[in-house]
This record gives sequence, C-alpha cells and structure tokens, in this order.
Amino acid sequence: MRIGLVSPYSFDVPGGVQLHVRDLAEYLIRQGHYVSVLAPADDDTPLPPYVVGAGKAVPVPYNGSVARLLFGPVTAARVGRWIEHGRFDVVHVHEPVSPSLSMLAMWACEGPLVATFHTSNVRSRVLHAARPLLQAGLEKIGGRIAVSAEARATVRTHLGGDAAVIPNGVYVDTFAQAAPRLRWQGIPQRPTVVFLGRIEEPRKGLPVLLEAMPRLLAARPGLRLLIAGPGDPREVLGPVDPAVAAACEFLGAVSEEDKARLLSSGDIYVAPNTGGESFGIILIEAMSSGAPVLASDLPAFSAVLDEGRTGALFRGGDAEDLANQLLALLNDPARRRHLRQVGDARAREFDWSRVAAQIVSVYETVIAANLPVPATVPAARRSSRRRRGGS
Amino acid sequence: MHRWDWIVVAVAVIALVAWYLSYNAARLDRLHARVEGSLASLDAQIVRRAEVSLELANAQLLDPASSMLLAEAATTSLDTSDAAAVQSEVQEHGVDARRARVETELTHTLRATLTPSVIASVVAERGDARDELVRLREAGERVQLSRRFHNDAVHDVRRVRAKPVARLFRLAGHTSLPHLVEFEDEVPVDV
Repeated sequence: MRIGLVSPYSFDVPGGVQLHVRDLAEYLIRQGHYVSVLAPADDDTPLPPYVVGAGKAVPVPYNGSVARLLFGPVTAARVGRWIEHGRFDVVHVHEPVSPSLSMLAMWACEGPLVATFHTSNVRSRVLHAARPLLQAGLEKIGGRIAVSAEARATVRTHLGGDAAVIPNGVYVDTFAQAAPRLRWQGIPQRPTVVFLGRIEEPRKGLPVLLEAMPRLLAARPGLRLLIAGPGDPREVLGPVDPAVAAACEFLGAVSEEDKARLLSSGDIYVAPNTGGESFGIILIEAMSSGAPVLASDLPAFSAVLDEGRTGALFRGGDAEDLANQLLALLNDPARRRHLRQVGDARAREFDWSRVAAQIVSVYETVIAANLPVPATVPAARRSSRRRRGGS
Repeated sequence: MHRWDWIVVAVAVIALVAWYLSYNAARLDRLHARVEGSLASLDAQIVRRAEVSLELANAQLLDPASSMLLAEAATTSLDTSDAAAVQSEVQEHGVDARRARVETELTHTLRATLTPSVIASVVAERGDARDELVRLREAGERVQLSRRFHNDAVHDVRRVRAKPVARLFRLAGHTSLPHLVEFEDEVPVDV
C-alpha cells in the first residue's frame, strides 16, 4: 500500500502525536508498505529518509499555549504537490482540526482520507466559529479514528458523527527487554519511586507528589524519588523541606533507552498528572517495562489501567490519597507482583503489532469504500465466495 | 450608464448564486458518492464476517452444538445478503432492518459461542485455532469500522440535505435519503 502520513507538528519537538506518527510510519515500512510522512521541518534539519519536510514551523499562540505550526499559501501548494507526487492509496492526517499541515492536506486530498483525533481538549468556541471552514474538509474523511474514548466523545460533541477508537501504540518488547540499572533499583529499606515528565509543567503533577513526600518519608524514611524530565529542579523544589529535597534525585532529560531502564528499575511508577492527558501512553510504557503503576484517576488513565485492575489509582490532585495508596503498594509486594503480571498482559493490547493491524483495517475499509461501485452486485460472485467459505 | 451598472450588478449576483448552488450541489454529490462507497464496503464486510464465521463453524474447533448454532446464524446472514444483492436493493435502501436484525443475531451467536473460556481452551488445544480466531476478530472489527464510517457519511449527507438551500433547490435530485445502519457488532475475541 502507498500511505501518506501527515503530522501537524515538527519531529524535532517532543510530543505524543509526532511520536505516534513516527512509530506508525516505521512499523508500516517494516511491514513492506511504502510510507511518506509530511511534517513541518527546516530545510537543514536532518530527517529520517521517509519524512518530507514541508517548511519551518512558526510559533503562534494557539489553544492556550504557543504552538509551532505551519500554514500559508506556500505551504498549501507544497502539500498539494506532495499529495500529487505521492500517488497514495490512502492519506492519513493527524489532528485534523489543528490549523497546520493536516488541515491543508485534508483540503488538497481527493482520494481515500483517514483522520486521527488525538486530543480531547479542544476549544469548542473556536471549533464552532470555524465550522463552515472546516466542514468541507471534514466531509472528505472516509474514516475517523479517535485514540481514546475521551477523544471520541470530543469528536461526537463537536463534529457530530462518530469515530472508531484505536489506541496509541507502544513497542512493548523494547520496554520489556530493558535491563534494570542497579543504582535505580530499590532495596527494602530504600524503595525507589519514579516520576517522568516535564518538571515545570504543573499538569504533570510533580507538585502533588512533592506535597505527598513528607508523609511518605515519615513512613518510609529511606524512600528515594527518581525524577526524570527536562526542567530546572531549583524552580520546582523552591522552599521545600530539606529532608524532601534530599530524597529527590533529579536525572534531567533521559534518552528513550534510559527511560525504559528507569521504569524497569523502579519499585513503583507514579503518574500524578492533574489533567491535559487524553491517552496516557507513558502508563503503557511503564506496564511494558514491568513497573507497577500508581496514577491519578483521570478518565484516560483509568481507561488505560482498566479501571484500576491493571494499576493502582488515587484521587487526582489529592496528595494525601496519593501517599496512602503509594504506601499501601509499597507494603504489599504480592500486589506489586500481581500488577507487574497483569500490567504486562494489558500492555500487549497496545503493542504496535495489534494497533497497526487495526489501523491497516481502517485503511482497507476506507479504500474499499472509495472504489467505484458496480451497477449491480453480481449474485454469482457472492455465492462462489460463500461456497469457498463453507468448504 | 446607470442601466449598465445595474446589469453588471445583476450579472455578478446571478454568477454568485450560481456558483454557490453548484458548489453545494458538487459537495452533495461527493457526499452521496461517499455514502454509496461506504455502504458497498459495509455490505462486503458483512458478507466477509459471515463467511469467516461459517469457516470457523466448519473448522471442527468448537463442539458440534456450538458449530451448528454458528453455522445457522452465519448461513442466515449470507442468505439475507444474497437476497439483498439479487434484488440490488443494497444501493437503493441500504442495509435494511431485516438484515440489521440478522446481523445482530449473528453477533449474539458469536458472543454466546466464543466466550473467553472457550477461546482459551480452543487455543490451548489446537495451534491453528489462533489464526482462525484472529481472522474472525479482524472480520468483526472491519464490520464495526465500515458501519461506523458509513453512518458518519450518512450523518454528513443528512446534515447538508437539511440545509434550506439544498431543500429549496432540490440539490439532491432523485437520490433517496440514506439511513443510518444500526445493529450490534461488538464481538470481543480476546486471543
């Protein structure tokens, strides 16, 4: 199959959508498909061979923060050329309502078109105001995918119609095979708790975890909190208790490999996010590496953790509940062993092998729906197929 | 001079109206084509699911009673699909209520015969069962996808056709109004 993928965001900026597009592209290429990815990129940025740069993204205020997007007539023309030269069997755009490449691709595309909606936090006022602009493009989409039940609900309320839920993918084996590192591993007197994420971003929830720390240290004085992620530790720690500061180890931004090794080394992985998550890929990565997960009860997280069956949940934003749940898990090695086991099985459901097969099903369904319809369906053909099926 | 001005304005207005009408007509035409395509695809996936179900029934993986139930439901589905094809009614009226009912029944039969414990024991017993079950799962998923995508297309057509301009100028022509296709299609096959 010839597949054109469109990412609205640059590959050199970290982000869930870009990672998803990259992983999907690489998986499909290994399956023998031809894949071209269109993404914003400088002319001089080194890109993987399957990525076509569409120009430099421009920082503009959008959806409450500054986003790096790509738009304008020159870009629109480039997108048109990419689609024309690609002779794709299917074009798959990501985040089609973000004002960037995907929207332009939707505009230019005449053939089978698939769109994946990643986010659940759209601003409905903007969508409503821009509705007539979007509508013509959205009507071309033959198959809509939402990455979670929440994202699907967003599609249903704001755009009408429906979307098939296909989760984000993870290379489970990459995480499952990561070797633990001795210095990150806990011992009974000094258990290790892992936090991952941009430390200055309050929505990632580090403040909640730090608030829970005095309680945790009172019960388990040897506890070590391993914090991995970009940002300045001094800013978040600020006026914190010196005992808490001593228990925190800041690892800075870590490589993909170290992330996997860190997750497989820790006794518990904590995701105290307070919002802004529509999926929770990190929880699946943690389960893949065999880390017992404790996460805030955001709808997306509860869904990934199967309502608490494959990981522990605490009340989002509630430091006291976090501390209680975390201590309960630390004091219960059997439960942690159980969570490791069910977590691994759960993570397999999100493995790329499974997820990509579902996405390919969408491609084939949409391509089939785009074929010219014969005037009448010959009954003979059906019956012959049926006999084969029955033999 | 005044008269010429008026003529220019009138021509411009007529051109604008004509453009607007043809734009909406083209849009509606594209949407109708989408509905037609998605319906053909749904029709094909329904047939495919029934075929795979029948294959499974004949694969001697399940006990005879389960196989019989499954074969019955699958054959009914195929017969109903065949009848629809012969009458070439599929394009006209979509997947009608009778077919929807038959498909819901097939779904219920699949759910009843392929419980998680049955699947686990079948897979443990026979190595080749896995492929068969994965095929069924994929066929089921594709029915779900194509039904969802078809209903999306129907939704879009109906919205545009409800617009006053489409109704007033009969932009839809003689194309019949497409209907949503509703039946149960969730078949969890956890291999």
